[in-house]
Amino acid sequence: MSSRIREQLLSLLLEQGDAFTSGEEISRRLQCSRTAIWKQIEELRKEGYQVEARPKKGYRLVHRPDRVAPEELKPHLRSQRFGWSIQYHSQVLSTQLIAHDWARKGANEGSLVLTEEQTKGKGRMDRAWHSPPHSGIWMSLILRPTITLAQAPQLTLMAAVALTRALRRETGLDIRIKWPNDLLINGRKFCGILTETRGEQDQVQYVVLGMGINVNTLEDFLPDELMKVATSLAIEGGRTYHRVTLIASILQSLEEFYDAYLKQGFEPVRILWEEYAETIGREVRTETSQGTIAGMAVGLDPSGALLIRHQDHLQPVYSADID
Amino acid sequence: MKMHEIREVIRLVDESTIQEFELENDGTKVTIKKALSNAGIQVTETPTVRPEQTTHVERQAEGQAPIVQQEEPQSVPTPTASEEKEDDTDLHRIVSPMVGTFYQAPSPDSEPYVKVGDRVDEKSVVCIVEAMKLMNEIEAEVKGEIVEVLVENGQLVEYGQPLFLVKTD
Repeated sequence: MSSRIREQLLSLLLEQGDAFTSGEEISRRLQCSRTAIWKQIEELRKEGYQVEARPKKGYRLVHRPDRVAPEELKPHLRSQRFGWSIQYHSQVLSTQLIAHDWARKGANEGSLVLTEEQTKGKGRMDRAWHSPPHSGIWMSLILRPTITLAQAPQLTLMAAVALTRALRRETGLDIRIKWPNDLLINGRKFCGILTETRGEQDQVQYVVLGMGINVNTLEDFLPDELMKVATSLAIEGGRTYHRVTLIASILQSLEEFYDAYLKQGFEPVRILWEEYAETIGREVRTETSQGTIAGMAVGLDPSGALLIRHQDHLQPVYSADID
Repeated sequence: MKMHEIREVIRLVDESTIQEFELENDGTKVTIKKALSNAGIQVTETPTVRPEQTTHVERQAEGQAPIVQQEEPQSVPTPTASEEKEDDTDLHRIVSPMVGTFYQAPSPDSEPYVKVGDRVDEKSVVCIVEAMKLMNEIEAEVKGEIVEVLVENGQLVEYGQPLFLVKTD
C-alpha cells in the first residue's frame, strides 16, 4: 500500500517539474493524510531523492537518484502491457532465476524483473555476465506466446530487432546485430539477450527474455579481458544515458514487434533483422557437430536460420557460435 | 493414412522450421521436403507394405502449385530402426521439439540433468535444446527410468529426433 502511495507521489512530483506542489494538493490527489505524505517523502529521501520543502509553497523534487525502480519507470512507460507488473530488487543473483520462478507461479505476460545489480549475471550455458551496480540495464521479461517450441527461436531474433530499433532511436548510435542476437557497436558487444523457455512438445508454457545492456559503464570499470570485445553506450556515445528512458523505449518496441510477430508472422522481423545485421555479406566460419562451415553469410531463411554459402550450396545454420 | 491427416501434416510442417520430415505409419511412408526458399513443399508418399494404396496430395495454402512425387511401390518393406529393435516398443521416447544443439547439462562443468538409471517424472528437466540462442529446457513428460541417452552432448538434433528412451512406470 505505502509503496503505491510512494509511486503516485513521485509521479506527481515528476509531473510538476520545477514547480512546488502544496501538501494540501498532494493530500487531495493521493487521498491520504498529510502525515502519511510526510512519511513517504522521508522514505524517498532515504532512497536518495532530494525533496525540497518550503513553508506555504509545498514540495518539489530537486534531485533523482539513478534508479530503475518501478516508481521511476512507470511515469515513462508507453507500452500497454509490458512492464506494468514489476519485481524490483536492488541486488539479485540473476533476474532470469527470479523470472522463471515467477512465471511458474503464474506471472502474467509482460511481467518484468528489474535490478540495479546482478552478482551472478547469467549468459548462455551459465557463462558469467558482468553486471555492476547502477551502470546498466539488467532485466527479464516474461512472455506467454501461443506458438510452438519449433517457432520459439524466432523470438530471440525478434528481440534483437526490437532492441536495436529502440536503442538506435534513443542514442543515434550505429547499432548492429551479430547472429543471432548480440548487439554491437563498432564491432564490440554491449548488449546480450538470453531467451529461455520451457514447454511441452507443441506449446510454449512461457518464455523468459533476459537482457543485459551496458549503458553507463565506463572503460575503467570493464574487466581487462573484456576490453577488446565489450563496450557500452556511454563509451561509444561519449555521454551518459537515462536508463529508465531506455527501458521504457525498449519495452514499447518489444511490445510492438511481439504483437506484429504474433499477428503477421516472422517475415517483417526477418527483413528488418537483415537490414540491421552486421553478419550478412561477411565471410563467416563456424564449428558445428558436422564439421566446419565457412562461407559468405547471405541472409536468414524463413525460419530464422542463418544461410551460409558453403561449397556451392546454402547451408542453414540453427545453432552455432559465429566467428 | 487418411487424406486429411496428410494435409494436416503438410500444414504443420509448412508452418514449422523443419526442412525435411518423414513419417512411417501403418505401412505407408510419407516424406515431405521443403525447398530452401520455402516456395513450395515436396511430398513423397511411398507405400511400403500395401502397394495398391494410391496417393494424391494437394497443397491448399497460398495458392502455390504443389510438387507431388510418387515413387514406385516397393515390393520389400524397408525395416525401420524400431522394427529391428523389438524391445524398444515398450519404451517412451523423449523427442526433440525443434532443430538445435543438444546439451546434457546446464553448463559445461555441471553434472548432466539425467543419466542412464535416473528416475524422472513429468516435470523433470532432462536436457536443453538450443537454437538461435534460445535455451529450451525439455521436460520428460512421463514418469519412469531413463534407459538410454540416444545423442551426444553438443550434437545437432533434428525436429522429432529421439533423445532419450524411458521405461515408463
